[in-house]
Amino acid sequence: MGLVESGKVTGGLASLLNMSRKYSLWVYQWGLACCAIEMGAAFGSPRYDVMRLGVIPLPASPRQADLVVVSGTVTDKMAPAIRRLYEQMPEPKYVISMGSCANCGGPYWDSYSVTKGVDQIIPVDVYVPGCPPRPEALLEGIVLLQERIQNEDMATRWKGEAIVVD
Amino acid sequence: MSSTDTPTEETPTEEAATDSAREAMLEQLSGELGDALVGSHLEPGIDLTVRVTAAAWADTAAFLKTGMGFAYFNFLSAIDWMPSPFGRDMDSQVDITLEGTEAKPAEEMTWGLAGGETRFQVFARVNDIVKHRAVTIKADVPEDSLTVPSWVGAYAGSNWHEREAWEMFGINFEGHPGLRHIYLPGEFEGNPLRKDYPLLARRVKPWPGIVDVEAMPGDDDETDSAEAAAGDASTDPADAGSQQ
Amino acid sequence: MTDITDRQQLKYIAAQAADARVNLELETEGMTLNIGPQHPATHGTLRIVAKLDGEQVIAADPVMGYMHRGYEKLTEVRTYPQVTTLINRIDWLGSFANEVPFILAAEQLMEVEAPPRAQWIRTILFEMSRIANVVLFLGDMAVQVGAVTPVFFAFRDREHILNQIEAVTGGRFHPNFDRIGGLKDDLPAGWVAETKQVMKKMRAFCDEIETLVMGNEIFQARTRGIGVIPADVGLQYGLSGANIRASGVDWDVRRDNPCGLAYDQVDWKVWTHPDGDSFSRFWVRLQETREATKIVDQLLDTIPAGPVMAKVPRIIKVPAGEAYVETENPLGVMGYYVVSKGDLVPYRVKIRSASFNNMSISPWLLKGVYVPDIITILASLYFILGDIDR
Repeated sequence: MGLVESGKVTGGLASLLNMSRKYSLWVYQWGLACCAIEMGAAFGSPRYDVMRLGVIPLPASPRQADLVVVSGTVTDKMAPAIRRLYEQMPEPKYVISMGSCANCGGPYWDSYSVTKGVDQIIPVDVYVPGCPPRPEALLEGIVLLQERIQNEDMATRWKGEAIVVD
Repeated sequence: MSSTDTPTEETPTEEAATDSAREAMLEQLSGELGDALVGSHLEPGIDLTVRVTAAAWADTAAFLKTGMGFAYFNFLSAIDWMPSPFGRDMDSQVDITLEGTEAKPAEEMTWGLAGGETRFQVFARVNDIVKHRAVTIKADVPEDSLTVPSWVGAYAGSNWHEREAWEMFGINFEGHPGLRHIYLPGEFEGNPLRKDYPLLARRVKPWPGIVDVEAMPGDDDETDSAEAAAGDASTDPADAGSQQ
Repeated sequence: MTDITDRQQLKYIAAQAADARVNLELETEGMTLNIGPQHPATHGTLRIVAKLDGEQVIAADPVMGYMHRGYEKLTEVRTYPQVTTLINRIDWLGSFANEVPFILAAEQLMEVEAPPRAQWIRTILFEMSRIANVVLFLGDMAVQVGAVTPVFFAFRDREHILNQIEAVTGGRFHPNFDRIGGLKDDLPAGWVAETKQVMKKMRAFCDEIETLVMGNEIFQARTRGIGVIPADVGLQYGLSGANIRASGVDWDVRRDNPCGLAYDQVDWKVWTHPDGDSFSRFWVRLQETREATKIVDQLLDTIPAGPVMAKVPRIIKVPAGEAYVETENPLGVMGYYVVSKGDLVPYRVKIRSASFNNMSISPWLLKGVYVPDIITILASLYFILGDIDR
């Protein structure tokens, strides 16, 4: 039983570890549709630079990623790929759902080929609303996620229990 | 020139130039196809639509390409003329049968330009980009076999368009090298663009219909907020009828 | 050009090898390479199943549908203004351009003409969305070929255009600004002067890309002679836009059939290139971007005064009929075939999207090319997945 698992990491040490985790997120962009362009603007353009938050884009593969940003419409044909991608990521992993299509199906809520929200397939930590959300909104979503990581109980995460946000 | 259901419109005098070009096209087509051309609609200065029999569908393509110089393939698709059994969702308050009243009689099938006789029609458009003219060709799909000849021999680009029409409507194209799914996953059942294919999300929760006045954020009652939650902000739930 | 002859020879050899393989003792199986469906953000979810023999493609089959959202079915249950909102998202880089042919078709059915000021502003926004779209293409093709820097310039300079579009419409892309009969609003004060400055910046960007990318030896080696599309094959497949103009075909819907937009009021040129390879497609798009900035400058100088909206009823019921309007969108020719039965909702909308036709040539085009050339060719054809899959 390691230190984290047995719950011996608390207080200042836990806070330090969480802070180091939240400032070193490697983001896998699952860019599907229009939101991918705003995500690209957030990650790639010098104006909304996301690297200043400690978040680096473009990992080599999902197996090296901490965070995945699902941006764009999720279709039923694409859904198995997203599930596989999520399972390939190692713990601790986080998911940001960007845009209304990924949140709830969005403008295509009544379509025959659209999955009504990516949270039907994978658990989502932060929802960023908008169609498309401005890059600043995505940055706010990432900051919210970082706050969440900071206040996280690492033992709970390790054991795989449900994480309660209070 | 032959036209059955829809008569050709009278030409205003200033449109004479373009109109004569289209009339010449129509004459050339009817000269070649003869009886196979069963309907036409010429909108002066705007467009020409021609309807042919399904048997002559591929021959029309070959003639258009080699005989008339329409070298550019624009698109090919189909229309389902059956009135939707689910009503027109936007008027769902009107289409829903209230208790104690009689159901409205089922709508009759009507067709568009150049007429029609069957439920499904394939239509395609080709351009002549040298002389800047274009024509829309339609054909009735025979009800029993739902098959029309393929255009792949004349225009190689129609391959994918026919795959899409097969997938969305269930129309077979004889002579197509391989009709298989282009958009939908392999296990998909049904033909989505047919009018009797339901959009399940709307059947489960019907659209509330036209709401003339949008409730202000403060004083909306429960039903409004519940129904507004079904739609999404980007589809203007209560502004369906208002012009901004 | 020696390059093309070499490739033709290679194609022939590949075909022979494919036939001969079954007779060889050393029977090596061809490999099936799966490219996609996850691409870097700009292209989207396209999957190409390529059967390879060594490094050469024997057959390539694009598998689409990963972004199929069912547009044509959804338009049958939405009113015309709602459809306008939805179709913004087909070509999601130059979004205003998607609305225009649909609105023009509906106006044709309603026999309503938008006032001249509205047509002018529509044309300006149309050209600006073209610039925004193609600027990203210029950066994106460079990154697909291997030069990573230009795409950052592209994103940075696109922001200027998006700022201007946002100032008018409220949305960076997906403006949802066009209405049947005109536009939603008028231009804000000071917009004309600012946009002229932005056009200067975009011309500077084009010059930057030209010096940075086009003269680069590696770029030229990777794009010259690659993916040659003969004009007659392109016409058969329905290629449009810069793809067909780069094969020498002089066809531009803006000039030949403007449908009320203000192109006949300005002085501009259609660019073509005789080669038909990937380099010429890049070259044509670069020239078109410059031309678009000049068009916008001229239009900004001559905007007529007046209302931006014709008199239309509050609840739009389009009379029964069928209309087809196509315009020269950034990706190619986009058209909407609108069938109306006199309702609030269209009866059937067939969306003729440019990228669907542009992509349909890829099985033919990708036979016998090397694997890295697949990426170059697809980048030069320039499709948006939302446009292919609708």
